[in-house]
This record gives sequence, structure tokens and C-alpha cells, in this order.
Amino acid sequence: MKYTEAFEELQRIVKDMESGDISVDDLSVKVKRAAELITLCKAKLTATEEDVNQILKELEE
Amino acid sequence: MSDTRKIFSLAQVVSSIKKTIEERYQQTYWVKAEMHKLNVYPSGHAFPELVHKENDRIVAQMGGAIWKHNLERINKLFVEVVKEPLTEGSTLLMQVKITFNETFGLSLQILDIDPNFTLGELQRERDETLKRLQQEGVLNANQFLPFPLLPKRIAIISADTSKGLSDFMKVLTTNPWGYVFFTQLFPAYLQGDQASDSIQKQLQRIRKVKDHFDVVVIVRGGGGEVGLSCYNNYALCRAIVDFPLPVLTGIGHSTNLTVAEMIAYRNAITPTELADFFIQAFHNFSVPIKEARKLLRTYSENLLKLEKERFETAVNRMKQTAQLYIERKRGLILRTAENMRLTVNQGLTRKRTQLESSRSELKSDLLRSFDNQHAMLVRQAEKLNVNTAVFFERQQLQLEHLTNICHLLDPQRILQRGYAIARINNKVIDAENIPQGTVEIQIETSEFEVLAQHLATKKKEKL
Repeated sequence: MKYTEAFEELQRIVKDMESGDISVDDLSVKVKRAAELITLCKAKLTATEEDVNQILKELEE
Repeated sequence: MSDTRKIFSLAQVVSSIKKTIEERYQQTYWVKAEMHKLNVYPSGHAFPELVHKENDRIVAQMGGAIWKHNLERINKLFVEVVKEPLTEGSTLLMQVKITFNETFGLSLQILDIDPNFTLGELQRERDETLKRLQQEGVLNANQFLPFPLLPKRIAIISADTSKGLSDFMKVLTTNPWGYVFFTQLFPAYLQGDQASDSIQKQLQRIRKVKDHFDVVVIVRGGGGEVGLSCYNNYALCRAIVDFPLPVLTGIGHSTNLTVAEMIAYRNAITPTELADFFIQAFHNFSVPIKEARKLLRTYSENLLKLEKERFETAVNRMKQTAQLYIERKRGLILRTAENMRLTVNQGLTRKRTQLESSRSELKSDLLRSFDNQHAMLVRQAEKLNVNTAVFFERQQLQLEHLTNICHLLDPQRILQRGYAIARINNKVIDAENIPQGTVEIQIETSEFEVLAQHLATKKKEKL
């Protein structure tokens, strides 16, 4: 998942909660999802997935 | 064959030409020409190629010479005024003396080069690049690209040894928040003649692997303020505006902005400032996430609290409603019971009254009836008395009458009056018992019983 998508989904959940669009039934699911997204986004801030070797290989192609 | 031809030695010819030229071109001249190649020799002298182009075609070409002391002076002046050393491929206004050397031939000895003309030329190139990009409608093309939410994969166009690169990397790698950037260096010349082509070449390479990157930065610094006119080069600027990723510049100088900086997605004055911009972008991403976590907690708690309150309110309302309902029903039952009691009482009273009146009515009726009966009885008794006497009288009379009749009808009395009874076999002669033949007939009279024999019988005529 791209961080932009994760971030946007997170923002959406917060907005839904803000406007009271989330019912108590959905609350735990949404909060759990939001926690996942937060973890994902935070990981994006402090990790890198790009592979230099792969880039170099593609440059030579 | 007699040789009448006048033969010159090469030295004589060269000497003659030299003399002619020196006589003809005694002054110095200001010449405008493009310096195609500078050709600095190890001796420190330069022998540039000067050309005149029309529509990109060379229409005149000549070699030049700049002696070491002139070259050093000119270069110093250029760096001061133009912020550029002498640059190959640029048009210069030169003060020349036309010289002829016996061994090197004709050349233009360059005594001076006007830095202000070059400055004007550079300014003109800058203006032309800007104007052309504007006319082509691409001036802001790179700035209109969407900026990645998290610009973490950075393709860096810089030089290994650049102070600017190390400043940039230092900020990115030592940030106290633990943000991790992925960077890849694409080495290029960052100033001077070769910079434009070199940077363009690296942009082309990055384009091939653009999916691995979020942004491109061109970082330079620590190299002084000279040689930056390449950033006004049209081809380079066009390559930047056309690039599919945002291109950010941090080429570190304090003079007028170059076109490349103006048309880049974003320009920072120094590489450090550019790196700070990326850190800030990470903050911008990180802060809403922290905020989101806080908001999630707050909203969740609020929502739960609200729901709990709603639930309690509902429960209370239900309790109250139930109680009210029971109260109402109880009241209803009590009222109904009361009504029933009243109704029953009323009914009983009414019935009792009715019964009472019925009883008294019945009593008087009964009394009346008894009286009537009694009266009737009395009357009947009286009647009976009277009737009995009459009855007895009548019976007496009838009895006497019947006695008389009986007396009259006595067969003995009839026989006494002369009548006889004829019988056959003790049965009276009638239609059923008609005498036949000589049958014995018993005849009874009042005094006798006569036995006779039958002779004939004839049916009597009816009267």
C-alpha cells in the first residue's frame, strides 16, 4: 500500500469520526483499521524499500 | 627555356604579408565573435577558435591568441563582473589586433574582452530562455505537478565532492526524528560549460527509473558564485519543466535567480534549506498522523460516552414510561373497580327497590286475587246451592218421565194390548230371519206361548 493511500484512508476515518458518521458497531473495526494505517504511515517515515541494485540494473537496461 | 619567373622564398612572402598586414591593420578593433574553443595550453596561453555563425552555420572562422597575462586579467575581471569565467560557446566582444606570425600565420590577438557585453549576452540568454518557455506554455509545467505526500525517495543530481551535497545529506541523515530518506546520487557537472549537458544526461537516466523516485533535486554549493549561467540554458530548463517528477533546486548562490531555479518545482537558496524543506514535508505527514491518533482516541471516547449517556437516558425513560404506564393502568383499574362497585350498588338498590315494589304489588295482587277467588267461591257456592236444588228437581222430573216411558214400553204391556212376537228358533222374524218352508214358529202373547207351523210369508207393502 502506498503511503498516500494509507494517509488518505486514515484522514477519511478521522473525518468520519469527527462528523459522527461512525456508529458504535463500526467503531472497533474503524479504530483497529486506523491503528494499522498509523503503524503503516509511521513505518513509511522511518523505513526504505527501494533497492539500489535494482535501480542500477534498470539504468543499464 | 629561360626562367624569367621571379621566385620568392617563403620567408620573403611571409615577411611581405606580415608587412602588408601590419601596415594595413595598425589599430586595434572591437570584434564580436563566438568563442568556439578556448584551447588553453600548458604554457598558460590560449588559442581560441573564433567563429561567426548564421543560422547555426559557420560563415567565418579564425584562430585567436590570448597571452597568459591577458588571459589571467580577463578571467579575473569576468569572474568579478559576470560571475563566470570565460566560457566556450559564448559570444564575446573582444578587442583584437590582427597579427601575422611567420610560423602560425594570421590570427587575432585578443587584448581584452568586454565583461559587460558578456553580462548583457548572458542576461539576454536568460531573458530569451524565459520568454521561450513562456511562449511554449511550459514555464510552470513542473510546478503544476502533484507533490508527493511523503517525498522520501530522492534522486540527487550533484557532484560527489560538492559541499552542497554533503550539507544536504547531513540534514537528511542526522535528523533527530529518525526519518529515513532513500537517496541516489546521479553525478553531474554543476557549473560551467559542461553542466547543462551533464545535468540533462542525468535527468534522462533518472527518467528511466522514475518510478523508484518521488522527486529530483539539483544540489550544488561551496563552489563559489561563478559558472551558474548554465542554469539559464534553454535546453536544460526545458528538460526540467518537462520532467515527470518535481525537480527541486538548491544551488546555493546569492545573485539573481537563474531560470532553472525559477521554473523548478521549488527552489531553496541553499542545499541545507532544501533538505529542511524535505524534513518539514515529513513533519507535515507525521503530525497529522499523531493528530489522527489523538483524535481517534478522543472521538472514540466521546462516541462511547455519548452512546452510554443515550443508553442510560433510554433506560431511564423506559423505566419512567413503564412506571407511568403501570400507574395509569392501576388508576384505570381502581376507577373501573369503583365504577363497577357504584354500578353494582346502584343496580342492587334499583333491583331491591324494584323487588320491594314487586313484592308489595304481588302482595296486593295476591290479596286481591284471594278476595276475588273467595268472592267467586262464595258466588259459586251460592250458585251451587241454587243449582243443586234445580238439578235435583229436574232429575226428579226426568226420572219420572223415564219411568213413565219405561212403563209404557214394557213388552208385557204391549202384549197385553194384543200384540204377539213371532220367533224362529228363539229369534225374532225380521229381514234377517225370514221363515221358510214348514219351519216351526213360536208365537208369544201376553198369556200364551203358541207353536205354529209356517205356511207362507209375504213381504208387507210399505205404507
